[in-house]
Amino acid sequence: MKIYTYAIIDSNSKISDTINGLEGIGVYNIPYRDMGIVVSSHSEQIQNITKDHILKYEEIVERLMEDFTVLPMRFLTLFNREEDVLLMMQEHYNGFKGNLDRLRNKVEFGIKVIWQGETIKNRIIESSKKCYANLVIPDNSPGKSFVKEKFEKYKIDKEFEEEADRCITIIDYFFSRFIAEKKLEKLKSDNLLLSASYLIEKEKQKDFIEVFEKIRAAPGDLKFLLSGPWPPYNFIVFTKNANMFNRKPVSQDRAGENAI
Amino acid sequence: MDSVITESKEVTLLEILDRILDKGVVISGDLVISLAEIDLIYVGLKVLISSVETMERLRGAPFAGATEEPT
Repeated sequence: MKIYTYAIIDSNSKISDTINGLEGIGVYNIPYRDMGIVVSSHSEQIQNITKDHILKYEEIVERLMEDFTVLPMRFLTLFNREEDVLLMMQEHYNGFKGNLDRLRNKVEFGIKVIWQGETIKNRIIESSKKCYANLVIPDNSPGKSFVKEKFEKYKIDKEFEEEADRCITIIDYFFSRFIAEKKLEKLKSDNLLLSASYLIEKEKQKDFIEVFEKIRAAPGDLKFLLSGPWPPYNFIVFTKNANMFNRKPVSQDRAGENAI
Repeated sequence: MDSVITESKEVTLLEILDRILDKGVVISGDLVISLAEIDLIYVGLKVLISSVETMERLRGAPFAGATEEPT
């Protein structure tokens, strides 16, 4: 038997609606104390995972999110036996409980901000060239040229990052007043200025989206992408001690590669 | 996926992958992907996301077989 997991929820009750999981197999809640973990039970491991499986998984977690606070399990986390599921729940009950309490009535939104990074960098390079045009190196040895080149690159990168910081500070200022928590990633590539995840109380979603639309409509070269509301994938926190996930797999067969 | 507001289906799938493969309750920590490159969003995503296996091949790592300790 392979038990595919979807999410930990803040309910130990039977799921009232019929929800079909991966491969059309119905999901059910395995209760543990005052919470539960939603799973589907399969006779064998699913072969040939496709994007349909990915979309189905996300659809199920979002469906659960309508009725419960959810802690999504990583996609394709599976167990060999219900006993193992319960053992995992037992070992990490406190961690799950803390996350469920913290994330209750909250959703995640993703914002990506794209800027013309290459253009900006080229502008900085040009400006830097003018700055150093009159700089004469008396002894134009390869060593000194190398150091000069490295120093110029450092200055350009630094200025590029400072410009990014300035933009991100302004953008983040508008969103921060609505949020409970945030995660910001700067310059994952030259053109991706900001990749942000914001945790927001459900009742503030509308305000958040309104502000986003205003910012997106503002004149400028920035391009904004919004996604959400998501289950709070980015805001589930476990301390090292609360994380059991260094246990050895029960099985070492192919299913066991990802199974606990 | 009605609740997800995005510019296109490709971006939606990117956002889903970015979350479900290494976020949430992570049992094992080997599957870390970075699909946030702009070029991937606008140029290669349709091809890249033709299947998870294709994605994993491009990433150069097996899909299953996580062995590292979690992050």
